[in-house]
Amino acid sequence: MSEPIILGSPTDAELGDQLLGTAWRRPALGEQRWWRVAFGIAGALTLVLFSLITYTVTTGIGLWGNNIPVAWAFGIINFVWWIGIGHAGTFISAILYLFEQRWRTSINRLAEAMTLFAVMQAALYPVLHLGRPWFAYWLFPYPSQMETWPQVKSALPWDAAAVSTYFTVSLLFWYLGMIPDLASMRDHAPTRRRRIIYGLFALGWNGKASTWRHYRAAYLVLAGLATPLVLSVHSVVSSDFATALVPGWHSTIFPPYFVAGAIFSGFAMVLTLLIPVRAIFKLHNVVTQKHIENCAKLTLVTGLIVAYGYIVEWFMAWYSGERSELYQAWIARPTGPGAPLFWLAMICNVLVPQLFWWKRGRTNVYLLFAASLLINLGMWSERFMIIVQSLEREYLPSMWASYAPTWVDLGLFLGTLGFFSLLFLLFLRNLPVVALSEMRELRHDLEHDAERKEAAAHV
Amino acid sequence: MSERLLAEFPDEHAIAGAIRALRETDHRVLDAYTPFASHEVEDALARRPSRLPFAVFVGGMCGAGGAYFLQWYLVAHLYPLVVGGRPPHFPVAFVIITFEMGVLFASLTAVIATLVVGRLVRLTDDVQGTAGFETATRDRFWLAVMSHGPGEPLRELLGKLGASRVETPEVA
Repeated sequence: MSEPIILGSPTDAELGDQLLGTAWRRPALGEQRWWRVAFGIAGALTLVLFSLITYTVTTGIGLWGNNIPVAWAFGIINFVWWIGIGHAGTFISAILYLFEQRWRTSINRLAEAMTLFAVMQAALYPVLHLGRPWFAYWLFPYPSQMETWPQVKSALPWDAAAVSTYFTVSLLFWYLGMIPDLASMRDHAPTRRRRIIYGLFALGWNGKASTWRHYRAAYLVLAGLATPLVLSVHSVVSSDFATALVPGWHSTIFPPYFVAGAIFSGFAMVLTLLIPVRAIFKLHNVVTQKHIENCAKLTLVTGLIVAYGYIVEWFMAWYSGERSELYQAWIARPTGPGAPLFWLAMICNVLVPQLFWWKRGRTNVYLLFAASLLINLGMWSERFMIIVQSLEREYLPSMWASYAPTWVDLGLFLGTLGFFSLLFLLFLRNLPVVALSEMRELRHDLEHDAERKEAAAHV
Repeated sequence: MSERLLAEFPDEHAIAGAIRALRETDHRVLDAYTPFASHEVEDALARRPSRLPFAVFVGGMCGAGGAYFLQWYLVAHLYPLVVGGRPPHFPVAFVIITFEMGVLFASLTAVIATLVVGRLVRLTDDVQGTAGFETATRDRFWLAVMSHGPGEPLRELLGKLGASRVETPEVA
């Protein structure tokens, strides 16, 4: 616990130059080439995404591999995967804020950006999956001449409410936290054009003490509001499954199991992004070993809850005595058509995080980076296992079938990875990656604590 | 003839000391401008705590109440439909949307209220154009004071209290 969260003792001015500088620093020539390559790949995949969306919307979702009995496949797997990744950001910025975990300050901006961009990818899928996405507004109760309304006793309108609320609140939280930093950028950006653009987004912030007073109250209240929200979103997503009677879905463990899985995959994605960003922008003084280690520890904890979820699923299948449940959990998943993905999920989600019991596993960034990628892969496989494998083996053996994705499915998935990367790269190059004003506040708090400790030692 | 002055201080201890000293005089401390939310400056100014959370509570309750009413109105009143044996008015099924809309409207209220009470969403204000004021978002602390009588004695006093510069505020 005594490990520092800020290394050295940078002044407020130095912190500002370093943390805002990431947005207008001209990368060295060799590095510039890598940025171009990264933007090129992300941009190309984004084009693939939008082309395939156009193809799907104009032709129909028959282009996707899902059909009866596997009516939910890539569309829902990717929705759940992306929205799960989106859970770490608000967990870090809201829940850890309420628990006064000071280390969260240097990574919350990045994690929240990740959340927003991941939720944007997630939201694409259910809308496309509607088949006629131009009628997506039917999900919302608007005064219509048809006089039919959303059936709010079904879990799907709950999902629409939960996901759109989650996105809006995350966006508000992120933007509110960024206003003082945008004002800093307005005042110190090198070119006039940048000053004008940042100035518009800073909304005229001038750091008045009376505004800070309300601002801090609003920030705390938003953290309090976002905390139950984080836990509610994946609980609601899990209800889409748990309220159905499909073997492997109809289970009360689903809400905590899904929430833990979401935060697990979210922290894995935070590590995947944080480790390279820290190296590229040389943020080692504000994102220290302690931050990386804490993320690894939280990954381990949530990973253990996920493993517990698996065990409960097997146990409940056995304990229910229900033949279809037993077959699903003990035979279809480990030996059925999707068995490799089942085993991949078990290895990546249960075995890989066990590395983090050792200090070595939590501090070696190469190992952590590799582990985080494996966990992302494992959590995707888990969603495949839950969604596809359950639907492949329902009650009637005459209805059993296997599922395979089409090239459009795979292309759309790669496309969302590209679009996510593109948004994240734009964020890295244009906005403050670390919450500057919060870092300054933290630095002063740490200084006051040290002074107080010293004064106590003298008495 | 009173005059409004802006003084720059090098650190939070200096500005907090100056605020306390000025409160003993007839000059009026208007507000401070700081690069981060400084607890020390806030304590020195001794303003009452923000009442913004009450507004948020009201906003949240309106959102939650409105959502519950809307759900009842739609599926129990306008178009009652019995599905799976659940009665048209089934409170348990309404809980989630009620909660989500409560959080949504509370959050919107929090952000909008901050913008309103902080008089934000504007291009400039009465201090942004002051020479050297951009340090207020970097590492300096600025204090706006209204002098009692002519400005000159206050200028001197601010210098004595540790101000590194004293300016007349200007609109950008």
